[in-house]
Order: sequence, then structure tokens, then C-alpha cells
Amino acid sequence: MKLRPFRLTVLGLSLLIPAALCAVVLFLVLYSGQAIVFNGLRFLTQVNWNLGDLYDDPVVVHGIQVPAGANYGILVFIAGTLASSAIAIVIAVPLAVGASIFLAEIVPSKIRPALSMLVELIAVVPSVVFGLWGIAVLVPFIGHYLSPNGSGYGLLAASIVLALMITPIIASTLLDALLQVPRENRESAFALGATHFEVVMKAIMPMVRTTLIGGIVLALGRALGETMAVLMVSGGGLNILPTSLFSPISTISSFIASQLDSAETDPTNMSVRALAEIALVLFIITLSVNACAKLLSSGVLRVRKRA
Amino acid sequence: MKMMNLLQAGAVALAVTAAAGITQARADAPLVETGSSLLYPLFNLWVPAYTASHPGADITTTSTGSGAGIAQAFKGLVNIGASDAYLSDTMAHDHTNMLSIPLAISSQAINYNLPGITHLKLSGPILAGIYSGKITQWNDPAIAAANPGVALPNHVIIPVHRTDGSGDTFIFTQYLSASDAAWRSTVRFGTSVSWPAVTGGIGANGNQGMVTAAQANPYSIAYIGVSFANQAAQAGLGQAKLLNKAGHYVLPTPATISAAAASVANSTPADERISMVFAPGVHAYPIVNYEYAIINTQQSSPDVAAAVRTFLTWAITEGNSMSFLKQVHFMPLPAAVVELSKAQIAKIQ
Repeated sequence: MKLRPFRLTVLGLSLLIPAALCAVVLFLVLYSGQAIVFNGLRFLTQVNWNLGDLYDDPVVVHGIQVPAGANYGILVFIAGTLASSAIAIVIAVPLAVGASIFLAEIVPSKIRPALSMLVELIAVVPSVVFGLWGIAVLVPFIGHYLSPNGSGYGLLAASIVLALMITPIIASTLLDALLQVPRENRESAFALGATHFEVVMKAIMPMVRTTLIGGIVLALGRALGETMAVLMVSGGGLNILPTSLFSPISTISSFIASQLDSAETDPTNMSVRALAEIALVLFIITLSVNACAKLLSSGVLRVRKRA
Repeated sequence: MKMMNLLQAGAVALAVTAAAGITQARADAPLVETGSSLLYPLFNLWVPAYTASHPGADITTTSTGSGAGIAQAFKGLVNIGASDAYLSDTMAHDHTNMLSIPLAISSQAINYNLPGITHLKLSGPILAGIYSGKITQWNDPAIAAANPGVALPNHVIIPVHRTDGSGDTFIFTQYLSASDAAWRSTVRFGTSVSWPAVTGGIGANGNQGMVTAAQANPYSIAYIGVSFANQAAQAGLGQAKLLNKAGHYVLPTPATISAAAASVANSTPADERISMVFAPGVHAYPIVNYEYAIINTQQSSPDVAAAVRTFLTWAITEGNSMSFLKQVHFMPLPAAVVELSKAQIAKIQ
């Protein structure tokens, strides 16, 4: 058989990525195994998170050694993650759609590259910078003018910071698609007497619907997993479900980051295993969001084609 | 990578000394320290001074957190793990080769954002009430009773706690556990605890985050490591007088912190794992702690062990001079504790 070095190399490289993914999943499942057995379904439904007394003697529950008083319930963090990401998307999508239509349709083509580069530039600002801005500007603003109890840390602050971080992702994806819409579409719509607004809404936007959904999914992925900026402005809610826009929250990823150091001092190691189980849950949430979006985008297209 | 280098360096040095028949170990094997972000600034002051007086010394310091300091010292990834908290009984008994060696003394202030009130008097039970949601108003009868004549605002208290694992959370919750029975039986103490749900209570990241959060939220209260006392004062925060075990309200000053250290010095056991929180003594400030180095007695080679011993001995003697400690608001170890630490350092092989 003929050796094909190029083909083999490319095949090997392409297998690396799924292999790494499988390795991560396998590690998370194996590592959190004991925690999954200990927690059961309570893990997802309970509000109370308690590492237990790491300085007391561990106790044995159903044959598994855990710190005394340990109880791992992550409903608060699931709620915080989903709520902050959802609100961020609600804020970011109109902003991004407006910005990209403006850039594609209104701005003269000579200065468009400069402006679109500015949008893309926001996408590469490190998240900790957004967090700092959130602490220095946004949190005091919310605390002074909006919040009933005077505290600016919480769901709204986290959502706005997230929205700012994901807007350029949606906008730049959408802008690329808008610029690829064939001239004929616009021109024939104009020829039929459509106003500029009608051209955009009826001749151009339907062409880029799939791209828009794709951009939103990308953005949602970033929002769900964002750690540092959220940690800085979310108020670190614990043991309490958010009841308003101004409630302190914790997201899954920021909570893992904040708890890991203490978890490492657990002599039974159960705390770290429980954190690995949280990571697994985040992984599943991100995967299912992506799968839903994929289904949604293909489903929408099919319906339109039939009609 | 670092570990490999260490092992190689150790092995080579071992071979050289064995070949030459020299039993005396050299003290310039490279060392790695990681852990407590509270101790990190002090290590950064220590290492340049130590390197200057000990040519050839090579110490890498990183700030990761007390939990990481303990975990990495256990795994043998670092030579010195820095921690604000001593090893738990379980860890110490299961791993008798792991030592908790005090390097210096730190403390913590209770700060609040109430303009015009500079030194409110507070106690462990009052703080436990605030942080568990039983005391929700600044003009609560319990606070008013401790502060006769002070005009307390009729406003909801915003308790601020650390979200990240922290030695400050450890000693704060130890103070609450030591002085309040309800707290002791429910929340207990640790570097992260399961904070009771308090409506409006917020979490902040790091000591700087605590200062910022307390400053941004009028009517808030926060516990802040003494290294950040200057920042807290600049932010316009008041500093509480705390009720000590002898029933007196005291501020964190060099005198009251030293008084607490002195009262615990003689009862410090040989393994030096003891809480200094809520120490007896008329003038003793109640939230004081030893800052620890977590060390494995079995280092990778005699050379590395010698380097660790030399550095730690320097740290608790010359390194404990006020010229270093003053910059981070730490206090030196009492003489009796220095002797205990020296005895522990001698066990490192």
C-alpha cells in the first residue's frame, strides 16, 4: 500500500480535537464519579451548597468519605448561569443587529473597514477589563440610580457586562453575512418600490437568518462559560435564588473558580470531585444549547423552503 | 518541568557531594514557593533581601491561594506552601510528614461604610447576627446597646463576604464560631463557608474587591485583611472596635495584635497548629492569626532540604524585623514561637 504522509498527518491532526474533547469528558465523568453517586439528583434540585467542615473529622455516608455537613446543591448556579446569559442575549441581539445593519447599509464603504474593525476590537478585549469597568462604572451606576437596595452587584450588572462582551461576536458574524447578500436582491427590491427599511427587513435579513442564529449560539457559548468578568460583578450569590434583576448571583464557571482553592484543602477530596461534577453539568448545558440552536436553525430553514 | 529540574539538580548535587565525600549540604538549591495571596507581598519583600545576603539562593514565589499552597506542597510540586490557615487535624494526622510552621502574624479589621461613625463597637454575636440575617438594621437594639450615644441609621445592613477561598474568611468565621454558639453549630468555619442566605448580602473577590464593594455600597460591612488597612481608610470606611474574650472593645493596633500573640505564645503546641482567634488577655485583639509555611519534612534531596531550612530560619529571624513586616502590617512572632518554629524547621530533611 502506498504511504500517504500528508493524508495521514492531516487525519491525525483532525482526530486530535475530538480525542481531546473525549478525554475531557472521560476525565470529568471518572473524576466526579464518587460525587455523582453521593449527590444523586439532589445535586441539581437543591439550593444549599456547603463544603462542610473541612477542619472536622470526615464522616462516612453510604460508604463514601465526605466532610462533616457537606451538601452540594447547584440550583442557584444553574439559575444564575441561565438567567445572566439569557438577559445578555436579549440585550445584545438588538444592539448587534442594529450595529451590523448600520455598518452594512448606512456607513459609506470607505470608512466601513475602520468602523467594523472597531467592533471586532471589542471582541478581543480581555474579560477582566470588562470586569474592571463593571466594578468601577457599572456597579456604582446601578447601585445609585436603579437598585432599590443600593447594591449594584448582581444579575443585571453581570448580564450587561456579558452583553457588551458578546455584542461584537454577533455583530461581526452578521456583518460578514450582510455584505455577502447579492446586490440583485437589494436592487430588485428597490426597483419594486420598497423603502430602505423594507429592503433590509424583507430582502436582506431573511437571507442571513441562519448566520444570525449561528452568531447568537457562538455568543451564548461565550456567555455561559465566561468566568472572570462575572465573578467580579455578580455579587457571588450563595444559597439564595435570584428574585430580581438586582439579586446577587453566581454562575457555574465563576463559582468553580472561586471555590477551587478551598476545595483543595478537603482531605477527602470530595469537594474537588463535586466541582468536577459542576463542570460536567456546565458542559452538558453548553452542548444542549448548541444542539437546540442547530436544530432550530435547520428547522426554520426547512419550514421556509416548504412555504 | 520545574520539578524535573529540581530532581536533576538534586541528583547531580548529591552525586557530586557523595563523590567528594563531603557531608555538608549546600544551601543554594532552587526553591519554589506558592500559596497565600496575603503572604505573597511579604515573600516578595523577603526574597530580594535574602538573595542579596545569600549569593546563589534561587527562590521563585507565586501567589495562588492558600488552598493551592497546601495542595501543591502535599503533591511535592513546591517546596514551600504558603497558607493563612494551619492544616486540619485530619490532614495533619494522616500526613505526619507535613508541617505547619508560623512565619509571621497577621490580623483582620472589620470595616463598614457609615459616614461619620469612625469606631463602632461590635461583637462576635452581633457580627454573627448580621451575617446570618438575624440582625438586618443598623439601629438594631443589639448594636444600639453596644454603642450608647451613637446615632445609628435606620437602614438595612449589606453584609459583604469573600467569594474566593480565603484565610480572611477562615479567621473571621473562627471569631464568629468562638463567640457565638449558633454560628458554631450551623455555619462553623473554613476558608469558604456556606454563607446563610441574607437578602441583599453580596460576595466580593479578593481583599481589594472587599474594599471596593464596601466603598460602593453605603451601609455595608466587610471583613478586610490588615494588609489592606490603608486602602480601607482611603475608601472612607470606618474600623470597628471588636469585643475580645476579656470583654473589652479593642481596635487592631500593633499593641493589641502583639497582646493577642503574646497570650497564645505559651499555649502554642509543638506542631504550632493553633487558632489565635478570640485569644484571652485584656488588650488582645480578637481576630489575629499565624501565617503558615506548609512544608514536607522529606524534601527531594539533602541540598533542597538545607536550602529550605536556611531560608525559613532567616525568615523567622531576620525576616521578622519590622522593616519588612511594617510594609504589610504584619507583626513578628513572639520569641517562644520562634523557638518552636526552629524546632520544626530542624525536622526538614
